[in-house]
Amino acid sequence: MKVSVLSIPVRDQQKALEFYTEKLGFIKKRDVPLGEGNRWLTLVSKEAQDGPEVLLEPAPNHFEPSKVYQDALMEAGIPYTQFNVDDVQKEYERLIDLEVQFSVKPTAMGTVKVAVFNDTCGNNIQLVQEL
Amino acid sequence: MTFYEKEIHRIGRIVYANQPQINAIIRTRQYLDNNYESDLNLDVLANAQSISKYHLLRLFKKYYGLTPAQYVIDKRIEKAKEHLVDGMSVTETCFAVGFESLGSFSTLFKRKTGKSPYKYQKEQLSRSMQ
Repeated sequence: MKVSVLSIPVRDQQKALEFYTEKLGFIKKRDVPLGEGNRWLTLVSKEAQDGPEVLLEPAPNHFEPSKVYQDALMEAGIPYTQFNVDDVQKEYERLIDLEVQFSVKPTAMGTVKVAVFNDTCGNNIQLVQEL
Repeated sequence: MTFYEKEIHRIGRIVYANQPQINAIIRTRQYLDNNYESDLNLDVLANAQSISKYHLLRLFKKYYGLTPAQYVIDKRIEKAKEHLVDGMSVTETCFAVGFESLGSFSTLFKRKTGKSPYKYQKEQLSRSMQ
């Protein structure tokens, strides 16, 4: 058994694809039509293209509890997903220049530094750097 | 300030109260990052931070969730992947990242990545030619 796909619930798959590729720098890996406008849409990290795929899934549009849960996490500022970076401060500055909104600025916490941004598709995403 | 940010600060004050201790462990990790290909000598690491060897082991595990030895192995495998992608031979890679035997390197590489170093390199090089 191995980890190959991790899901991120999104409200709009096309908008999410644009944000995750154009701003975050992910690469599209699979794009399979699933009917009714839905897609099996996955991305991989540019630095680890053989690593796990991120699935942008439209669950909040089809399953009400998913939407309720996503809204609650958003309101509390809780990131359900996190990505590792080499330098949180540098990535924060790069994304601020691209007009990405942060709810937590780069903050050292013991042996890590974190920051949290809004992915514009319903989620808070945390960046993590191991110190 | 969001609920989450408040929680980060609250938990940080509880779990990460001893900043000098944390700084010593961060310096240890930085040392390992810069010397992963050398033999791991805990006595040297501990002396450099003026703490006992066993205390250093416990603290490293407490803050990073891995022992220094486990951390170094992961680092060596990560660096080995980079060398293989850059076209370095498997044998050269093995010694460049600090392993002393090709057998133990290949076994560990396969256990950590699911593929032998030869297969990993072949796949990566064919991907880059696509």
